[in-house]
Amino acid sequence: MMGETEAVEIDDILDDWFIESLKSYKDLHVYQLEHPTQIIEWTSGKTVCVAGYSSGKNEILELRLPLRLLADEKKGLCAERDFKVVHGGFSEGPVCCLRHIPGTRCAVTNDGLTSDLQLWDLGADDTDVIRKTGSLPGTSVSQAGSRITARLSSPPQVLHGAQSSGVQLTQLSTGQTLYRLEVDSTKPLSSLKFASPPPGECALWWTDASAASQCRVIMLSSSGQAVVSDLRNLGGALCQAQLDVQTSPRKPEDVTVAWAPALDGCFSVSGLSGLVQIYDTARWRAELQDASPLFQHAGHSVSSQHGDGSAPIFITTHVWHPERPRTLLSAASDGSVHVWDWVDPQTN
Amino acid sequence: MPEIKVTPLGAGQDVGRSCILVSIGGKNIMLDCGMHMGYNDDRRFPDFSYITQNGRLTDFLDCVIISHFHLDHCGALPYMSEMVGYDGPIYMTHPTKAICPILLEDFRKITVDKKGETNFFTSQMIKDCMKKVIPLNLHQTVQVDDELEIKAYYAGHVLGAAMVHIKVGSESVVYTVSVNKFALCHSGAAWIDKCRPDILISESTYATTIRDSKRCRERDFLKKVHESIERGGKVLIPVFALGRAQELCILLETFWERMNLKAPIYFSTGLTEKANHYYKLFITWTNQKIRKTFVQRNMFEFKHIKAFDRSYADNPGPMVVFATPGMLHAGQSLQIFKKWAGNDKNMVIMPGYCVQGTIGHKILNGQRKLEMEGRSTLDVKLQVEYMSFSAHADAKGIMQLIRMAEPRNMLLVHGEAAKMEFLKGKIEQEFNCYMPANGETVALTTNPSVPVDISLNLLKREMTLGGPLPDPKKPRTMHGTLIMKENSLKLVSSEQALKELGLNEHQLRFTCRVQLQDPHSDSDTLHRIYTHLKSVLKDYTIQHLPDGTVMVESIVIKVSSSAEDANAKVLLLSWSYQDEDLGSYLSSLLKKGLPT
Repeated sequence: MMGETEAVEIDDILDDWFIESLKSYKDLHVYQLEHPTQIIEWTSGKTVCVAGYSSGKNEILELRLPLRLLADEKKGLCAERDFKVVHGGFSEGPVCCLRHIPGTRCAVTNDGLTSDLQLWDLGADDTDVIRKTGSLPGTSVSQAGSRITARLSSPPQVLHGAQSSGVQLTQLSTGQTLYRLEVDSTKPLSSLKFASPPPGECALWWTDASAASQCRVIMLSSSGQAVVSDLRNLGGALCQAQLDVQTSPRKPEDVTVAWAPALDGCFSVSGLSGLVQIYDTARWRAELQDASPLFQHAGHSVSSQHGDGSAPIFITTHVWHPERPRTLLSAASDGSVHVWDWVDPQTN
Repeated sequence: MPEIKVTPLGAGQDVGRSCILVSIGGKNIMLDCGMHMGYNDDRRFPDFSYITQNGRLTDFLDCVIISHFHLDHCGALPYMSEMVGYDGPIYMTHPTKAICPILLEDFRKITVDKKGETNFFTSQMIKDCMKKVIPLNLHQTVQVDDELEIKAYYAGHVLGAAMVHIKVGSESVVYTVSVNKFALCHSGAAWIDKCRPDILISESTYATTIRDSKRCRERDFLKKVHESIERGGKVLIPVFALGRAQELCILLETFWERMNLKAPIYFSTGLTEKANHYYKLFITWTNQKIRKTFVQRNMFEFKHIKAFDRSYADNPGPMVVFATPGMLHAGQSLQIFKKWAGNDKNMVIMPGYCVQGTIGHKILNGQRKLEMEGRSTLDVKLQVEYMSFSAHADAKGIMQLIRMAEPRNMLLVHGEAAKMEFLKGKIEQEFNCYMPANGETVALTTNPSVPVDISLNLLKREMTLGGPLPDPKKPRTMHGTLIMKENSLKLVSSEQALKELGLNEHQLRFTCRVQLQDPHSDSDTLHRIYTHLKSVLKDYTIQHLPDGTVMVESIVIKVSSSAEDANAKVLLLSWSYQDEDLGSYLSSLLKKGLPT
């Protein structure tokens, strides 16, 4: 009986990675978007936004995760494995950064070329269209795009900036600047996060301070050195390790580092090795030592659609599910998006 | 302007009972005739009263075309043809023709025997309906009548599924339910590349989804089977003879080999015979994988897969069994299910949709206690897994299809309008897009090009009249005769047409008498007329002829004395019909009298 026919013999499908994946992943979903995305942003526990970054017109899509993944106890009875495009819209330029404003159906984007922001209404139940509702001018004259972050606040506010000197806090509804960071440096920012207390300067390239409950920040250098510090004492290292990475990133935006929201001491890295790596800092010490990843997701390079000869694909971004301990989404330059729930190898 | 009209009778903006009416070039075609599986009353059938309020449909339809064997596309066919009444041709591909009656009969049995319904078609009606079916071969033009032609192309999402190209004159419509990647890339489908139909009709059910890869679906299947086998459980996979069974078998066999597994895999014999029979018939419709297996080794002589015997169901230890029927409503698969349901180490994997009323449908809805014959209940402790292997086109697939076909207009059915605005907007960036609701007609004007030959003489004559050559931006009136012979159109001069037809040309002349008070002699009056007209009609050729007439262009004016009145003159004007306007003008002018 006919099914889809991919130009691949069945024996090739059962390659080593595939066979291993039966044990190493609880769930695995592989999707191919029409255009690659460099953002994956949660808009609820079940939905994410992705968007194109080509130079012309791009789509912004809000996707609902497959029901089978979310079903838990009734998983077996749910056959639905596909993403559902619940809302969609068009952006005139590339979308390099997209943030959902918590508590609203608003999103803010930046095109990576200027520091201006675009405001969007992600749509409600009665429509499937994402509409642009306005824009906010940025302050910086740099050629680079802005990073954006937001947290639950009333009325909604957004923190954005392309350089450290241009970081400002803006109230969305009025466009009023509430706070501006007075700093001399003009170092480019690669990520911006709210933390409590307010963020300070970062000496190394990539950080994630979202493990707020433990006051921990992870800082990662381009050579693969990872340092865990206390937010209140950024100069000192609680523990550190040399990660198993091979490549240097081309641009700062290519690297993503993130604490696992629901797995103490675990964090993930992408953009330095062509894989998504997960490390467990539980056994790290204050002296620098080599560390091996607890888990690696090689799915993107293994199932790359690009074949041989063309440029190797790279991971553009990845995110953890806010509640499910081991569920991640990752996107790559070939337009692939994977949703995976990995099995902790230590439990076998 | 010529129009093509499309009206969905079912599946306009909801899923189920697909049935679309197309009026093209004076022909009426019904595309699909499906059942809505969610209703138990007449709402499950398409609303045929749109075609005619009462009576048979034969006179109103030129043909019916069925795209594939799924019940939401053919389930209402026997009802339409035998209970409402239709005796015209019904077209479908060979595999669809072979499979439809089996599914319809199964469905009828479940609905009537299990659910006890009465207003439903009978087995005999299914047979009578299928007698009206004319099977289609791929890529073969079929003349439904001397104006309507249809052609089927490979669509691939299920066995026998076809895209249909409908043509009347230079207007065309393409209808496809869905299409899979292979069909679009396959060289046989290159036809659709820029075929530019006036309308492309497609379903949009999955157009708002992005499909998980086939590999991941297969991974999940193998993972579940492997986990059950490892804990010593038994796995039952109820399948339709031509369901996913063959592909799943090949998958399992390869996996067993790779992993060096020892547990037995069985395939029930009833399945084997039927499947072998159908595969021999439809080998060209199957994919490469299956074809290779069938050719290299006799279909079911796998290394790890053996024929099943019902006694094996009681054997201890792990095993996998493929058995029919697919919805667990009767037969061997149900017998095995009853034996294995009570053990929580076992598993049943349902690879497809189950109709309401079947055990398959009940367990997929989470029912864990089933009422069986004789009032006994069955406790369902085994693991139930619902897996979908369907190959419908998703958002990307639909865009690919549309971009390849480049229709003048795109029409989407089978989706919810409110949730499709984004998709509609996306398509509308490149093509016109419509989403009619049930009973709503979309009328699209077409601009068919009508080729006409023009005779050289006529063309030359037009050119001597001066002015630029024919230009689409500057249309010009011309006189000629259009001859329609067989399928060609020819424009020739009137003389040539008359010659070809062997007719004589007739002249039409009007005459009119005008009374004038004028005491002069006849010739003097004539001369006065001549002078008068010469001064008024400066741009016209006016002649005073020696035979006693004045001619204005072709109009002849004669003067004679009135018999009753010596001072009155009677003017006789005569003109040919080409000079009608001038002639009427002259007669009004002369009626006013001559200047003194």
